[in-house]
Amino acid sequence: MLEIKNLHARIAEDGTEIIRGLNLTVKAGEVAAIMGPNGSGKSTLSYILSGREDYEVTEGDILYNGESILDLDPAERASKGIFLAFQYPVEIPGVATMQFLKVAMNEQRKARGEEELTTPDFIRRVKEAAAELKIDPAMLRRPLNVGFSGGEKKRAEILQMALLEPKLCILDETDSGLDIDALKIVADGVNALKSPDRAVIVITHYQRLLEYIVPDTVHVLYKGQVIRSGDKDLALELEANGYADIIGKAA
Amino acid sequence: MAAVQETIDQVRQIDVDQYKYGFETIIEVDKAPKGLSEDIIRFISAKKQEPEWMLEWRLDAYQRWLTMEEPTWARVDYPKIDFNELYYYAAPKNMTGPSSLEEVDPELLRVYEKLGIPLQEQEMLAGVQKPRVAVDAVFDSVSVVTTFKKELQKAGVIFMSISEAIREHPELIKQYLGSVVPTTDNYYATLNAAVFTDGSFVFVPKGVRCPMELSTYFRINEKNTGQFERTLIIAEEGAYVSYLEGCTAPQRDENQLHAAVVELVALDDAEIKYSTVQNWYPGDAQGKGGIYNFVTKRGDCRGHRSKISWTQVETGSAITWKYPSCILRGDDSRGEFYSIAVSNGYQQIDSGTKMIHLGKNTSSRIISKGISAGRSNNTYRGQVSIHRRAENARNFTNCDSLLIGDKCGAHTVPYIEVKNASAQVEHEATTSKISDDQKFYVMQRGIPEEEAIALIVNGFVKDVIQELPMEFAVEAQKLIGISLEGSVG
Amino acid sequence: MNIHTPIRLTPAETALVETYTAQVGDLPGDGAVTVTRDRLLNDIKTSGLPTRRVEAWHYTDLRTLLRNVPAPLAAAPSLATIAPLVEGAQVLPVLHGAVDAATSIDGVEVASFADSLVNGTAAAGLAALDKDDAIGKINGSLVRDGYSIAIPAGSTVEAPIELQALHGAGQVHTRFPVTFGAGSRATFIERHRSATGEAALVSSISDIMLEEGAEAVWIILQEQGAEDTHLGQVRVKFGTDSKLRLFVINAGGKLVRQELRIDVDGEGSELTLRGVNLLGGETHTDVTLVLGHNVPNTNSTEIFRNVVFDRARGVFQGMIRVAPDAQKTDAKMACNTLLLTDDGEFSVKPELEIFADDVICGHGATVSDIDNNHLYYLQSRGIPENKARAMLVNAFVAEVVEELEDEKLVEALEGVISAWLEKHA
Repeated sequence: MLEIKNLHARIAEDGTEIIRGLNLTVKAGEVAAIMGPNGSGKSTLSYILSGREDYEVTEGDILYNGESILDLDPAERASKGIFLAFQYPVEIPGVATMQFLKVAMNEQRKARGEEELTTPDFIRRVKEAAAELKIDPAMLRRPLNVGFSGGEKKRAEILQMALLEPKLCILDETDSGLDIDALKIVADGVNALKSPDRAVIVITHYQRLLEYIVPDTVHVLYKGQVIRSGDKDLALELEANGYADIIGKAA
Repeated sequence: MAAVQETIDQVRQIDVDQYKYGFETIIEVDKAPKGLSEDIIRFISAKKQEPEWMLEWRLDAYQRWLTMEEPTWARVDYPKIDFNELYYYAAPKNMTGPSSLEEVDPELLRVYEKLGIPLQEQEMLAGVQKPRVAVDAVFDSVSVVTTFKKELQKAGVIFMSISEAIREHPELIKQYLGSVVPTTDNYYATLNAAVFTDGSFVFVPKGVRCPMELSTYFRINEKNTGQFERTLIIAEEGAYVSYLEGCTAPQRDENQLHAAVVELVALDDAEIKYSTVQNWYPGDAQGKGGIYNFVTKRGDCRGHRSKISWTQVETGSAITWKYPSCILRGDDSRGEFYSIAVSNGYQQIDSGTKMIHLGKNTSSRIISKGISAGRSNNTYRGQVSIHRRAENARNFTNCDSLLIGDKCGAHTVPYIEVKNASAQVEHEATTSKISDDQKFYVMQRGIPEEEAIALIVNGFVKDVIQELPMEFAVEAQKLIGISLEGSVG
Repeated sequence: MNIHTPIRLTPAETALVETYTAQVGDLPGDGAVTVTRDRLLNDIKTSGLPTRRVEAWHYTDLRTLLRNVPAPLAAAPSLATIAPLVEGAQVLPVLHGAVDAATSIDGVEVASFADSLVNGTAAAGLAALDKDDAIGKINGSLVRDGYSIAIPAGSTVEAPIELQALHGAGQVHTRFPVTFGAGSRATFIERHRSATGEAALVSSISDIMLEEGAEAVWIILQEQGAEDTHLGQVRVKFGTDSKLRLFVINAGGKLVRQELRIDVDGEGSELTLRGVNLLGGETHTDVTLVLGHNVPNTNSTEIFRNVVFDRARGVFQGMIRVAPDAQKTDAKMACNTLLLTDDGEFSVKPELEIFADDVICGHGATVSDIDNNHLYYLQSRGIPENKARAMLVNAFVAEVVEELEDEKLVEALEGVISAWLEKHA
């Protein structure tokens, strides 16, 4: 589903190199965990996959279902099924959450040549998904992410993911700032979305989240490269010994 | 960064096709000869069958106007207007004043249908109760029809064209006309006093809550014709009225002048809510053509506990020069100004308000949202003045500007004058562009750039949109979207 | 306005013209300097001083407010320097406009400004900034002396340098071009004070040039007498990566206009501007800022705190201009006023003129009396009302001064503020 080949990327504004020859393959139906110390390029990778303008790819390619997506803007990538659950969801004053959800869902349907949702159908879908995630309907009447607590924001991200039905889900530090109960709800939400034609990339600093969203593969990112790949045991190894061990060996 | 350049490039290609109301109606007209003179003023006054005192009033204003100079302090730039090259009166043939719906030329009715203005007095539509709106339709220099007149009359509300009111209610006109905006107030207001042709008159008597929304729809159709409307709204003690005006004009290469005067008077405990959706033709992609919109609007909170609220959505006109103001004379009176001003292409906007606090415990609130795109310039200019005896006055002003593209300008010029220690005045202003974070977030959810921007802009202007009567809020939101079309990738 | 119908001069305008005519033979400089002086005076003569119709003078109608201009004294009064504002400061005396050419400061180049008038190098700088620059015109035509100062590149001057301008009755017109060389650091205190309390007209222009990487602190302390007219102007040009902390304190004068004309022309540069206006008596004080962010990546913050007693009138005009292409400008301005009397007034005109889109600019302005909740809280702790008020007013203005790093300076300025408040509150 996703094939990243020798990817080099930098911050557009000042040319700082962040990704230095990264290779990664994620198959449909797979849950891939990307771990790594702070500053290893984890969040940058999520931004580059979703097409953020602030980064420049200087070399290599990203193939999504066999096609390069480098020339697509974020909206085009999203309608092809790439979804990023942000580490820090953005507050947008004045924009009602419901209105936002409706526009997003219908734009993606339009881009895929599908019928737009009727209002009752839309409301039904949102209500059901919100109930699953234990989201208070009152929250949906507020402006997008404004005044949401950290946990509420993360849950709202997963709600969007459920509603938009993406094919490639990228969760960027979704566990940060969540207590254990919230973490379980979020993980259940993600697990419910697992399917043979959908891949999930879980970006995380800690093993904790991976107890609830069990990965098929684990990749360690350091200085913009995948320095080691393995199965879920690799995450446990990291938890026990820390990153220093692996980084030392790689160097 | 490529996308940003693309955005800017597209800003330049504003397509005139976006202006949906640019059609012209071919209709037989009566016109005054070109130019401005005492004779022309006599001609207008005679056409309107005005009493002698009204003619005197006009001629007096004209003499004063001849001695005045065009103001230059606003941040707008345009070639000098030759006032003798304009027509000051144009009316559909055989139409010197409003008639009943049955008598109106069907061609004219089609114009309003095309513009989406409800001129039929139907109340029930397929069993659904729609909110009812009474409309005064002004076409060039005359009011062609005023709907729901009879029903309003039953409630004691007078709603008619100002020309009719001058004939039918001279005592009210003499008492109130020019009492808020004196004939010599400023260059354009004085010109208007001399040559005004039509407009609306509203009188809501003591204790009456006007049973429906009132609105006037202004249409400039004729070439080289100035429109000089005059509106006067009086709410007596305890009365309430909500009024909305809309404006459109055909696309033409020549600039056209629109110089209106609006006066509002609110007596004790009265409330007037005045909303404007201004969509005059803005000119084409090269800045050719468009309306010069030079307007004086002022409300007088003459009574205690009275309230006047202005809401404006300004998307049209090549040049806008207007400052809907409130004179807070009565104790405990309140003034409000909510504004959205969108400029694109080569449009120039210099708009804002004045809140003049004279009475005790007066309060005012100003919320202004400016959006500049293309090569436009958008200026907020506002004055808050707390006079010596205005004990416990309060003002809050919030003025935000958004820039889309780097060839436009956004300017904020507040004047704050406080002469009483018990006053509390608070002003804040910001200028920025749409945040990249917000745009990226919305686009990541699959919403294309242009819509993403429209969505964020709609969030930005929400505080003001919600002040509009519901029926018009949706329309206004769409209009803002259309005005910004082509400004983004 | 191409019509050259001569206007009828006011007594003050006439006095300025007469001062010039009487002194022209004696004013330092000739050639280009005299030509410039003539032109500036002729401007005053033909178009007069600005009125409120001139937007830059909207709240200070100089033509009406400047009622009379005292005649210059035939001989300068004999004045002596006073103790510097902070101990250890190096004083450059300016006694009734006359400088002491013999004063030297280690590591700093100091010369008499009159020298550059005489040798003609000052000619270009004498021109007015624009057609409404009345201070530039008055000062440019009548200036006699001042100091030309250069801080050599790479040097750090530890002790503050105090420009101590004292005057008696009459007129004083001075100018201080100061260049901060690349990477240099220094602190200046520009201090204006009446020595005798007799009426004077003072015009003073400081021309500050910051070269690459220079860091300067500049403090203006204006404590003119109750009869004085003070027309001050600071012109600043920023070089790349330079920094200026500019503090303006007005605590005197009858008619005061203090202009700050700042051009941020160097990328990466930063302005921190703070102002305190202590207004009392029957006075008129106007601080007008015109700040141009002309290149990308510059920052500025401006905070003004004003208190108004008695029948005083205060004005703050603050224009922030962001030029096209000056992307990533971050400029924020606040102007807060305590209006403590119904006989006083304060007018604010903070302007934003923005031509670049990737900017964060904003301004805020408030005018109010002391917050009753604050007052109540202090009183509930047993502090009597007048004391509580004084505390709150003092805190309101002193907060701004506390941002200075030099503790001795903070202490000295706080002293000036409390002394002023004690006298007026």
